[in-house]
Amino acid sequence: MGPTDEPGALRAMLVEVGEISHFTGKFFREAFRPRFEWRELVRQSFLNGYLSLPLVAITAFIMGLVLTIQSRPTLADFGAETMLPAMVSISIVREIGPVITALICAGRIGSSMGAELGSMKVTEQIDAMEVSGTNPFKYLVVTRVWSTILMLPLLVVLADAIAIWACYVGVNIKGSVSWSLFHQQVFDSLVFSDLLPALTKSVFFGLAIGIVGCYKGFTTEKGTEGVGRAAHSAVVLASLLIFILDLVAVQITEILGLN
Amino acid sequence: MDTPEVGAPTNISPDAEVVIAIKGLCKSFGEKKVLQGFDLTVRRGESVMVLGKSGSGKSVLIKCIVGLLTPEAGSISVLGEDMLALDHDALDRIRVKIGFLFQSSALYDSMTVRENLEFPLRRHWIAQDGNDSEALVREALENVGLENTIDMYPSELSGGMRRRIGLARTLILKPEIVLYDEPTTGLDPITGKEIVELILRLQKKYGTSSVIISHDLNVAKLAANRIAVLIDGRNHAEGSYDELYAMDDPQVKPFFIFM
Repeated sequence: MGPTDEPGALRAMLVEVGEISHFTGKFFREAFRPRFEWRELVRQSFLNGYLSLPLVAITAFIMGLVLTIQSRPTLADFGAETMLPAMVSISIVREIGPVITALICAGRIGSSMGAELGSMKVTEQIDAMEVSGTNPFKYLVVTRVWSTILMLPLLVVLADAIAIWACYVGVNIKGSVSWSLFHQQVFDSLVFSDLLPALTKSVFFGLAIGIVGCYKGFTTEKGTEGVGRAAHSAVVLASLLIFILDLVAVQITEILGLN
Repeated sequence: MDTPEVGAPTNISPDAEVVIAIKGLCKSFGEKKVLQGFDLTVRRGESVMVLGKSGSGKSVLIKCIVGLLTPEAGSISVLGEDMLALDHDALDRIRVKIGFLFQSSALYDSMTVRENLEFPLRRHWIAQDGNDSEALVREALENVGLENTIDMYPSELSGGMRRRIGLARTLILKPEIVLYDEPTTGLDPITGKEIVELILRLQKKYGTSSVIISHDLNVAKLAANRIAVLIDGRNHAEGSYDELYAMDDPQVKPFFIFM
């Protein structure tokens, strides 16, 4: 990019931020007004939540196992190997579980929303919905965003549980710890204030994934090329927003003394 | 092309109710002025074709009529309602009375043919009972001769079949007015003729008024009572096929030169 392009790029970025904010505002205006599309919400929750389970579960298992195996030597050097379950479980519940789950969902759900809605846009299916007297924003966007808001915390809880179980497996690869002792070590170190901020931020991660995926799909232009770009940019932007939201969440929990 | 057994209704009284009245319609996209004071009147039972070159603003015109695009100036009255003054809910109510056949058919990819046809019924609480809905769907499919496609997905249908299913979906709510966007574009001449004959037959059966957007003179000859020629964003000339064919206007003549 040449120096002369910079003001244009900055302007385009600011315009996009403004448009996404407007899109989010429209979501909140429509989200609590009837008519509620329960059937479509259930369908989207199935597609975005239930069908993400295998990917989230496998990733969480690997994440818990790898974290345990790689942390063990360092803790062993300090003679603190018994701290392994506590350290891994706190890392997973507070940070790694929500962020990794959100990133997986940004890839799987964000790209699918961007591509599906983008394709509907360029083939006039969204216009067809509108002329048939259906509010496409309510039917397509509100249901999808609600589904990601509701499903993300559930997926995070599941990912946390699987990762902690994988930690138990990891601990027992080179040692022998009973499940009851492992359970006690984990839950003695975890407190409610570890879980609450994590679940709260996962709600915002879900909001970000849903809004960005739908916004990119709804604003698709230039035919099939635009559909590809919508899917790709939905993943990139949603992932970036997850990290930014995570940073903000850390600052807020710090200020509130929840760390 | 041979004259079909059916033809556009010819007994339209000049005193028949005006169902669409467009006055001084202007629409621009950036610097490009597409419509610059377009006028058109459609009476009940009449079939009016808007003829124009590709990119002349024909699709923009019908998208303005149905409220998908908002013009900068002018007025559009449909069934006595000022379309530009209606709120979203009122617009949805009037849209039930207006059918729109998209150039791309715009069938919902993720739904079967049955679900595509049930969608507008469910949205408007017309057939909440499963049996009523099934009967209406069957009737719509019988009308277009594609009863055997009921459980197929749009991706499994040919272009002509998609156009027929699109027509069935458009007519399932029994609209008073139907807007056709390039109904024969992209189809071979035989399938195109079949679609025009189908349009005429269903128009007679349900007594609909229609606006047909096309650059296909065969459609003009077979399906239109009256033709409006859209040139430079205005209704440049208007009349029956024969009247326009006999015209010496240098801008109208080229449309008929190959006939």
